[in-house]
Amino acid sequence: MTLTKWFTRTSALVKLNLRRDWTQLVLWCVVLAGLMTAVAAKFDQIYGSQRALNEIVKTLKTPAMVALFGPMTAKPPYTTAAVFAAEMLVFMALFMVIMNVIIGVRATRHDEDAGLTELVTAHAVGRGAPLLAAIVELTGLNLILGCGYGLGLQLAAMPGADSTGNWLIGFGLAAVGWAFGMLTLVMAQLADSAGGTSRLSFAVLGLLFVLRMSTDVSDPQLTWWVPFGWVEKISAYQANDWAPVWAYLLLGLLLAVLAIVIRLRRDLGAGVIATRRGRQRASWWLRGPVGLVWRQARGGLVAWLVANFVLGAAYGSVFNTIGDLAKTNPMIKQLLGTSALAAANRLVVKNFVAVLAIVMVIIALIPAIQLTLKLVGDEQKGYLHQVGATAAARWHVWAAYTGWGALAGAAVLLAGLAGMAVMGAITMNDSLAWASYWHVWLAYLPAMLVMIAVASLLVGWLPKWRYLAWGWLGYSFFAVYLGTLLTLPEWAQHLSPLGFVDRVPVKAIDWSVSWWCLGLTVLLLGLAAIGYRRRDLAQ
Amino acid sequence: MAQAPLLNVHHLQKKFGQFHALTDVDFKIYPGEVFGFIGPNGAGKSTTIRILLGLIRASGGQATLFGQDVWRDSVAIHRRIAYVPGDVTLWPNMSGGEIIDMFLRLNGDRHSDKTETLIKKFGLDPRKKARTYSKGNRQKVALIAAFSMDADFYIFDEPTSGLDPLNEQTFQAEVLALKARGKSVLLSSHILSEVEKMCDRIGIIREGRIVETGTLADMRHLTRTTVDVQTTAPVTDVAALAGVHGVTVETDHHVTFAVDADQLTAIMAFLTEKGLVALTTTPPTLEDLFMRYYQGADQAVDGK
Repeated sequence: MTLTKWFTRTSALVKLNLRRDWTQLVLWCVVLAGLMTAVAAKFDQIYGSQRALNEIVKTLKTPAMVALFGPMTAKPPYTTAAVFAAEMLVFMALFMVIMNVIIGVRATRHDEDAGLTELVTAHAVGRGAPLLAAIVELTGLNLILGCGYGLGLQLAAMPGADSTGNWLIGFGLAAVGWAFGMLTLVMAQLADSAGGTSRLSFAVLGLLFVLRMSTDVSDPQLTWWVPFGWVEKISAYQANDWAPVWAYLLLGLLLAVLAIVIRLRRDLGAGVIATRRGRQRASWWLRGPVGLVWRQARGGLVAWLVANFVLGAAYGSVFNTIGDLAKTNPMIKQLLGTSALAAANRLVVKNFVAVLAIVMVIIALIPAIQLTLKLVGDEQKGYLHQVGATAAARWHVWAAYTGWGALAGAAVLLAGLAGMAVMGAITMNDSLAWASYWHVWLAYLPAMLVMIAVASLLVGWLPKWRYLAWGWLGYSFFAVYLGTLLTLPEWAQHLSPLGFVDRVPVKAIDWSVSWWCLGLTVLLLGLAAIGYRRRDLAQ
Repeated sequence: MAQAPLLNVHHLQKKFGQFHALTDVDFKIYPGEVFGFIGPNGAGKSTTIRILLGLIRASGGQATLFGQDVWRDSVAIHRRIAYVPGDVTLWPNMSGGEIIDMFLRLNGDRHSDKTETLIKKFGLDPRKKARTYSKGNRQKVALIAAFSMDADFYIFDEPTSGLDPLNEQTFQAEVLALKARGKSVLLSSHILSEVEKMCDRIGIIREGRIVETGTLADMRHLTRTTVDVQTTAPVTDVAALAGVHGVTVETDHHVTFAVDADQLTAIMAFLTEKGLVALTTTPPTLEDLFMRYYQGADQAVDGK
């Protein structure tokens, strides 16, 4: 009785949270479970023959792939299901953890920062009730997703799969997600803001992921010391070991209790680690809108640069396996001769780079559009009202946001390509020329600028409709990346400027496309600047 | 006030879609003047100020500051003004000290000894991140930045609503110092004592139009004095006189009522004839004055 009083009205808060978050929760469930099911259903087609399976297993056993996906522990004869488990588990676990961190922060510190928790707990609501509501929300979400995965795998019915393995993968992923969700709730007690909680949680995830990489490559047994790596140990479709699931549940339970204990003891709005004090005076470069936007965006921008570099490097690390035609067919070497074979190998890799370039471009456009649209968000939050009353001109403020957006896009794309180039050069015997990557950058940049300029145009003229820029980005990914697979007509690809860039670096850059894209960008930016000068500041 | 006005607002209008936020705003502010801008919530005070700052564009009418158009020449005007919004929002990850310096630099100014003195006077810890500031502390950040600028025109939109009385006093002292240096101030406020203490003239805005401008003394003159009187002769027939409102009859010899300022002499003569036993007159308080304008002519408060 004495303990339950701290959790009064938890069920009401759970309902409130669900009513607020349900679209987001449903979206996560549908996307993640759908992704898993779609990949599982396709897997049999991708690796149709036993020989293809044996080949991919060889690739999966290389250190680069072990570092990315975890060790390949299945024993021959290799089945589709075993390869699927090896390729997807770590990848999906990563998504599960990211989802749990996002939802966990939203359900705790986000509300506390906004002053909602203060308002809520001032009523007859237990001090621990908001936290317990977050625990319930996360538990339910992971349970449902676990069931979704299990059902999806049952439906996909991969060769070599068994129901125990299917449900084990489902609940293994749910368990790792849940445990890291509880970890996020602990971090929410340690940090004293939503941003701090996210940073701490992702820092722990990053650290564990790197640790897991190194133990997997050196000695997989050591991975038992790294909680994130436990999910690899379920040995689905082989030994079907449930021990990691119980381990996650135990860990999560301990973390949940720890979070509750700290919450009941700490002050509202405070954290165990207090925010560091800031600067007494501004540094010399914080002297205008350009410095101001940089001051706000620098942390995120660095993260995007590092993330895209790592992604590029991950792709680059498999270039040697892809670009080795002789591996799958030894006869080719004799047919083509060594130098012709090397050229053919390079062409295969170039084709691969041409496809990956689209992924890199889309990723680079995310921070670019985010920064460009941030102008309206900052107006609405009121940050820019006081700035607008200073001698800083309207066009100057607008140019700072759009300019950083364009710069971010260019830099993040460059980082991704650099990662690919560096890792490709290390792993390939006969690597691509640097110019190939450079051409990709040059070819896509003007098309990217058009998309950023359109986002800026929306900011200037139709700020309420600015989310259309995201829709267009999503469409571009769909049309250009999947377009060739789905054999979409050309006009559908040409609804995005990215669709005009034709298979660089396999083909040469079409400079006429570059020039009209640049011309259009200048025109659109001019219009955007005029629009922003003319309209009312959003309030 | 023979000089040309510094701020000239003429028949200003603003529509948001179908909604008329401002229908007719008309006032002037002269050099060296502190102008009080008052009115109920939602009357259009902040909208007017945002138009003056060139943040939003007027749908009709004109507003000039230093003789320049507030929308077209906003950058030139902004070099010479300082502004404190009513709801100060600051970038959460920057410290107060950083934000103060940045606002100063955006106006081509710099951190000076004056800034240091103000930080001490207001008792702000400049190293705390803005996220951890209370409403009052956020207001201090904006106030320190504004007062350390060497502007010609200062705009304060309810600047003291989160300040403690000590800081409120510091604020008032700083505004009076500006006035002493011949600067002009537009002060929007709900704190009547503040308005009474500092403002030379007042403009009252209601439902998007300026309903009255003038000095406090002028406005007092426009309202009613409360009279409580006891006489030897029956006095109930006072209700029939012009300018008398809201008569309460206690007894035949004792009534209270409100009287228009311009009828006071006539009423006093009438009462004296009835033989005065006791008489108290209460001049209208500021509250009475504002209530009268806030609530509108149709439901004017009679004296009390």
